[in-house]
Amino acid sequence: MGIKGLTKLLADNAPNAMKEQKFESYFGRKIAVDASMSIYQFLIVVGRTGTEMLTNEAGEVTSHLQGMFNRTIRLLEAGIKPVYVFDGKPPELKRQELAKRYSKRADATADLTGAIEAGNKEDIEKYSKRTVKVTKQHNDDCKRLLRLMGVPVVEATSEAEAQCATLCKAGKVYGVASEDMDSLTFGAPKFLRHLMDPSSRKIPVMEFDTAKILEELQLTMDQFIDLCILSGCDYCDSIRGIGGQTALKLIRQHGSIETILENINKERYQIPEEWPYNEARQLFKEPDVLTDEEQLDIKWTSPDEEGIVNFLVNENGFNIDRVTKAIEKIKSAKNKSSQGRLESFFKPVANSSAPAKRKEIPESNTKGATSKKTKGGGARKKK
Amino acid sequence: MLELRLVQGSLLKKVLESIKDLVNDANFDCSSTGFSLQAMDSSHVALVSLLLRSEGFEHYRCDRNLSMGMNLGNMSKMLKCAGNDDIITIKADDGGDTVTFMFESPTQDKIADFEMKLMDIDSEHLGIPDAEYHSIVRMPSSEFQRICKDLSTIGDTVVISVTKEGVKFSTAGDIGTANIVLRQNTTVDKPEDAIVIEMNEPVSLSFALRYMNSFTKATPLSDTVTISLSSELPVVVEYKVAEMGYIRYYLAPKIEEEEDAKP
Repeated sequence: MGIKGLTKLLADNAPNAMKEQKFESYFGRKIAVDASMSIYQFLIVVGRTGTEMLTNEAGEVTSHLQGMFNRTIRLLEAGIKPVYVFDGKPPELKRQELAKRYSKRADATADLTGAIEAGNKEDIEKYSKRTVKVTKQHNDDCKRLLRLMGVPVVEATSEAEAQCATLCKAGKVYGVASEDMDSLTFGAPKFLRHLMDPSSRKIPVMEFDTAKILEELQLTMDQFIDLCILSGCDYCDSIRGIGGQTALKLIRQHGSIETILENINKERYQIPEEWPYNEARQLFKEPDVLTDEEQLDIKWTSPDEEGIVNFLVNENGFNIDRVTKAIEKIKSAKNKSSQGRLESFFKPVANSSAPAKRKEIPESNTKGATSKKTKGGGARKKK
Repeated sequence: MLELRLVQGSLLKKVLESIKDLVNDANFDCSSTGFSLQAMDSSHVALVSLLLRSEGFEHYRCDRNLSMGMNLGNMSKMLKCAGNDDIITIKADDGGDTVTFMFESPTQDKIADFEMKLMDIDSEHLGIPDAEYHSIVRMPSSEFQRICKDLSTIGDTVVISVTKEGVKFSTAGDIGTANIVLRQNTTVDKPEDAIVIEMNEPVSLSFALRYMNSFTKATPLSDTVTISLSSELPVVVEYKVAEMGYIRYYLAPKIEEEEDAKP
């Protein structure tokens, strides 16, 4: 899923574009969350051992509800305002990839049956993870729960990541939380990984800044998209033998996939016969998304207490005490006024002093190191 | 080449104690006019701005503007090794990657050299424009410390309001509420005990007490504290550092959000 090896490529070539941040430091921020990805994670992680899942009396799985409920409360308590974006119809180009995933799942199901017969616990664990599938029912359950909780839900026309990126570009949200690196290719200005991880794992949030990535890689956005397509995306095959590193080198050298194709040694690299790279590029650049202001009017409202209790306790067998306590948490989180940030009052300026560690020292700078460093004339920007 | 000799070494020790809890790593900027620092806490809610003017040093040599990245925890460890009466000298070379702190006892019979590694810190510098504040309160620093400490046992947010009547600090928590009102009082024996309230416009703002409490770590530096408030700006809590400069803390207010008002 996502872009093959992009995390490592960025860590090696654009280390300053990724920053570790504390979960707590996102208070007051509006964040678009890729819901499908989260539900998938919940189904795998929450209350599952082997083939056993959390279920209600009727035997329907409730792991996703448990996960969505608790994780969302954690976000709200930290003062984060999440907006969940659900996948719509997958784009045509993704069919191949989806078919691949489908057959993989079918294989895993077969393997799982085998493992259960053989009674191999490790294998049961391994294969049952792979058979997890997010159904329409799961999605609908989560949407219903979120709406009851007063958390906004956006139903994308197509890919959720693309919709998240659009929200972020429009300034509706601060960043996009997903595990799928596609979000960067769709141009989300800020992309957060591990935001939805359980607090018990104690993994800091990794924040990617797209503008900085482009600056550090010295690429334009179009070139970055080409780089992602070459590295391997969900929408088309990549050229065998070309991974992230080589792709970056080629893009820097030639500028675009077209010029690479003209110059590349076709004996050595087998270019796929049918290679819809241009369509994939188009999909990243102009994805099918909602941009209508009306539909994107995102609001956080008070929770519907009765509705939540009815849905979780009566229909899905949750413990009533826990649910009421959780609702209290939502309500108290709502009443908290949010902490402001200094950036909303003061604007960053370039620093005038040269770092002591740097060998090259600028011309003697008359700028005083007083408290006011506004409009640093002739100031050097640190790299 | 940089060489700064501070006779009253204890000042530097106190300065560091008053910022190290708020900021882990920071760049110290040296120029011909003085030794300064600007740094934000990790969540970018509070900012500390320090200035020690060159005139305050017995000897001040700074050939080129230098920015030295230091881990404040480590720097504090080193400065704790200096006696309270010691003379502290800060030394650094232009291209070097270390800074040296030299401690001399007043009787010149003991000289200690501590060398610390510098860090490369990519910090953002914020431009803080001069502003006319709606209200300015000057009060004994120990009184302010006491108020912040007391209120934080009740709630986590303090509302500071300045009106004709005086300045009110209030909070609310699970166990109840608290209100402390101070009135203007200039008829005191010692000028530093005075409470002076300059009000151009009434103002009322909410702040996190956690940060206020960490600002009061600067109380040993100065007998008085000045609190400047404006409704559209972060509060400024200022402590003078002897005659040579200041520590100013800026704290972004808590904001009621418009969306919460809707059902």
